[in-house]
Amino acid sequence: MNPEVSGGRDEVLLRVRGLKVHFPITRGIVLQRTVGHVQAVDGVDLDVRRGQTMGLVGESGSGKSTLGRGILRLGVPLTAGTVEYDGVDIASLRGEQLRRQRSAMQMVFQDPMASLNPRQSVENLITEPMRAHGKPVDTTTVARLLELVGLPRSAALRYPHEFSGGQRQRLGIARAIGLEPALVIADEPVSALDVSVQAQVLNLLEELQQRLGLTYLVIAHDLAVVRHVSDDVAVMYLGGIVEQAGSDDLYRSPLHPYTRALMSAVPVPDPEVEDRRQRILLRGDIPSPAAPPTGCRFHTRCPYRQQTRCDDERPVLRELRPGHRVACHFAEEIDSGAIQPAEAAQMVGTAPASP
Amino acid sequence: MTTMTSATTPEPAALLDVRDLSVVFHGSHGDVEAVSEVSFSVRPGEHVALVGESGSGKSVTSLAVMGLLPTRSAKVEGSIRYDGDDLLAMTDHERRDLRGAEMAMIFQDPMTSLNPVVPIGVQIGEVLQRHKAMTGRQARNESGDLLARVGIADGSRRLGEYPHQLSGGMRQRVLIAIALACEPRLLIADEPTTALDVTIQAQILELLRELVSGTGTALVMITHDLGVVAGLCDQVHVMYAGRVVESAPRRPLFARPRHPYTGGLLRSIPRLDAPRGEPLTPIPGSPNDALSWAAGCAFAPRCGNRIDRCTSQTPELAAQHAYEPGYEQALRCFNPIGEETS
Amino acid sequence: MTAQLPTLPTGPAAGPGDGATVVGESLLRGAWHRLRRSPLAVAGAVIVLLFVLVALAAPLLAPYEPASTQWAGDVTPQSVPGPSADHVLGLDSFGSDMLTQLLYGARQSLIVGVVSTLLGLSVGAALGISAGGLGGKVDTAVMRLVDILLSIPSLLLAVSVAAVMGQSQLSVMIAIGVAQVPIFARLLRGSMLSQSRSDYVLAAGALGIRRRRIVLGHVLPNSLGPTIVQATLSLATAIIEVAALSFLGLGDSDPAVAEWGRMLVAAQERFGNDPRLAVYPGVCIAITALGFTLFGEALREALDPRQRR
Repeated sequence: MNPEVSGGRDEVLLRVRGLKVHFPITRGIVLQRTVGHVQAVDGVDLDVRRGQTMGLVGESGSGKSTLGRGILRLGVPLTAGTVEYDGVDIASLRGEQLRRQRSAMQMVFQDPMASLNPRQSVENLITEPMRAHGKPVDTTTVARLLELVGLPRSAALRYPHEFSGGQRQRLGIARAIGLEPALVIADEPVSALDVSVQAQVLNLLEELQQRLGLTYLVIAHDLAVVRHVSDDVAVMYLGGIVEQAGSDDLYRSPLHPYTRALMSAVPVPDPEVEDRRQRILLRGDIPSPAAPPTGCRFHTRCPYRQQTRCDDERPVLRELRPGHRVACHFAEEIDSGAIQPAEAAQMVGTAPASP
Repeated sequence: MTTMTSATTPEPAALLDVRDLSVVFHGSHGDVEAVSEVSFSVRPGEHVALVGESGSGKSVTSLAVMGLLPTRSAKVEGSIRYDGDDLLAMTDHERRDLRGAEMAMIFQDPMTSLNPVVPIGVQIGEVLQRHKAMTGRQARNESGDLLARVGIADGSRRLGEYPHQLSGGMRQRVLIAIALACEPRLLIADEPTTALDVTIQAQILELLRELVSGTGTALVMITHDLGVVAGLCDQVHVMYAGRVVESAPRRPLFARPRHPYTGGLLRSIPRLDAPRGEPLTPIPGSPNDALSWAAGCAFAPRCGNRIDRCTSQTPELAAQHAYEPGYEQALRCFNPIGEETS
Repeated sequence: MTAQLPTLPTGPAAGPGDGATVVGESLLRGAWHRLRRSPLAVAGAVIVLLFVLVALAAPLLAPYEPASTQWAGDVTPQSVPGPSADHVLGLDSFGSDMLTQLLYGARQSLIVGVVSTLLGLSVGAALGISAGGLGGKVDTAVMRLVDILLSIPSLLLAVSVAAVMGQSQLSVMIAIGVAQVPIFARLLRGSMLSQSRSDYVLAAGALGIRRRRIVLGHVLPNSLGPTIVQATLSLATAIIEVAALSFLGLGDSDPAVAEWGRMLVAAQERFGNDPRLAVYPGVCIAITALGFTLFGEALREALDPRQRR
């Protein structure tokens, strides 16, 4: 299965190939008929290397969360493609086999309150999954895990609603790492938290990665958060990856017009920067994944759109520089300045009042 | 208490002047002081930000200014002067006339802020008919123009659409159109882009910037996002646990934050332009850990600059030397960044 | 403005932080605290408690034997003897002691109410759990059955059962119980389905917890709140329906058994002369039903997750 495996372990822990998740849209109550498909994820290739963090960034409708759940096989039927974990194709696993597989791949949820059963004490909610996987549980287990995520031992007897948002997220993390997973998929792990608390959870995730050798797939809409925690970043738009590169590389020289627009749209907490920078304003909204545009899915909003090729031909991810892949027909021309944005009005500088 | 040291230059009269505002909620668990000692002013055309996290009192402050707090359970004290008139002395009826016509508000969630069963054209027209005494036909024409102004293409044809037929960004545009229908002189925006995607947020912020600067409308921006503040607001008030802890014009605030909370916030946010690998310095604890201001500084349990005095004495908001005349600069801290005593 | 008020933050005092030393307050205990603070809940609980005590202790409290008609001679076609030293509330139309009959009537109502509600609850819950927990075809089949039951007015259903099974206490209980089945089944299925969609159920799936355990250990306990409330409210309905069935002549065939509904029937023909004969049992029914309703509504509010901090 793995050409790279030659005696030693494969460097890639998670390998996703051609993954598609299409949800049927049905009409009718008694006789349901399928009238179309929401192409939430439409052909994604992704490699997550062992011990590294892959960041997945995108806006709503990009399919980033569906991709995460599809990889975990969590209530999301895979339409096509393979998900290979540590050399084993898990896309075909069912029932008890799939359940056993779950201890190796864990998830951290966005809303820590909603993802914890309000009736379970902390001790219970940490030990229940461990028991389900036959992991040894003794009196020190819970205390050790709580300490690992920076909570006091006394937390064991309390209930989720007694904690603050940040502490609840720590509980969710403690529960996940209790199963000793190799891969953790964190779906918007900090977006529900107060600003001053987000950094605590991000630092905790990094600390745990170093101590436990975890591999992360971090899914978020916040580009700054993703860039901060990730070694590699993949940018998703309407079900597909449009650009993938090393974190610094992506920030320094984004190649895809969408990535450029996204970066220029993220506000920076610094007036000096804000006043100088140019914004690329995108027109309109993200189209519906039920009726994605033909050709390049970004062409309806792209300021660099070129007649007919962008409308007709869907670009594939291609490697422009080592480790930097982009799905744009004209990435080189845009990068070199040969193609200019169509409407100059779309580019705005911001210059508010003086101070 | 926040008397400006820069009284030498004549200031333009404030459009909105809030002094010593306090809001107490009567609840089943006893009274909760959500906001106290809040003072700030907004001049015509000025962009003022109230920044804070959950529980900071920023939204309650804005609702108090709008007069939208439930009169039975919330006790509002202090003074809120609009154009010289004391809003707290007005009758409900007078305040209603002022809302929409003179001051308008945009909320975070554009879905719940719009009536789901009424076409958007009717919702905009309603405001025009009520405050500008327009006829139905006039209001309909004007509504179409308004939608076009907020960037909704062929606005007049979309008047019959319902909120659920629109995207989040479009709904927020409709809300802005409603807010701006009567050309208010004061616009309060409570987290107007928090529920939106980044690229849509950029569109809406740009729209606000355009609309407000073109008309000289004063803007009060309520947000937790310091990035949004940096690009949009002249004057910033940072709130924590119901009080203002630091006031400053945006440049000095971001360049040289003085309050440990402001500084902590800035150090804890990942920045897109910061070199990667630079560790974040989080503020320990959570906003829930705030102490009562009666016993000292509410931020003391989370503060790295804490000294003995912080837990025994309540710090006052003291006016600072103004960076630029006409701006408010004040600080509520015994041991500010840059002049630590220990 | 068509804007709605956003929910108000409860301020800095809300929620225990790091330093709080509270030890595990569970949801139920939280509900108990809220319940104790509500005056209506306390009033309802007092009524319910009194009712149960009276029902249990009827033999001790009643001054005479139940259903003894030893004073039948004092009753004339025109009038029934009113309150006196021997009979605090007077006699009823059969010549029994009114107070005794009312006390034993409470006992009867409690037995029928509890048994029929338990019956409706257990059958309804079994159907609801299988529909909500198994889903798919089982769900469809069970819910169609329940829909059919639900489309028949509950009193009519009770009347039919009583008519088929004959007049007996048991048939009254079964009749009322059967009428409650669809209510409990729908309620439990509905709340199980909505709980199944919540994040913590997804999380449990991601953690590799077995499906059986997720349904019975996570979904079910979190879905019980509304069912418990409904059971309390159902007791009130059951007590009224017992009275109604007796009133329609479908109750226990033994006319001597004290039962509030039948006391109302008997009082009917003497209402012009002796309205108190109807007033006493009527007031008893109303107060008891009110007690259970108040308590049930307060319970609903106390268990409401939105009340949680």
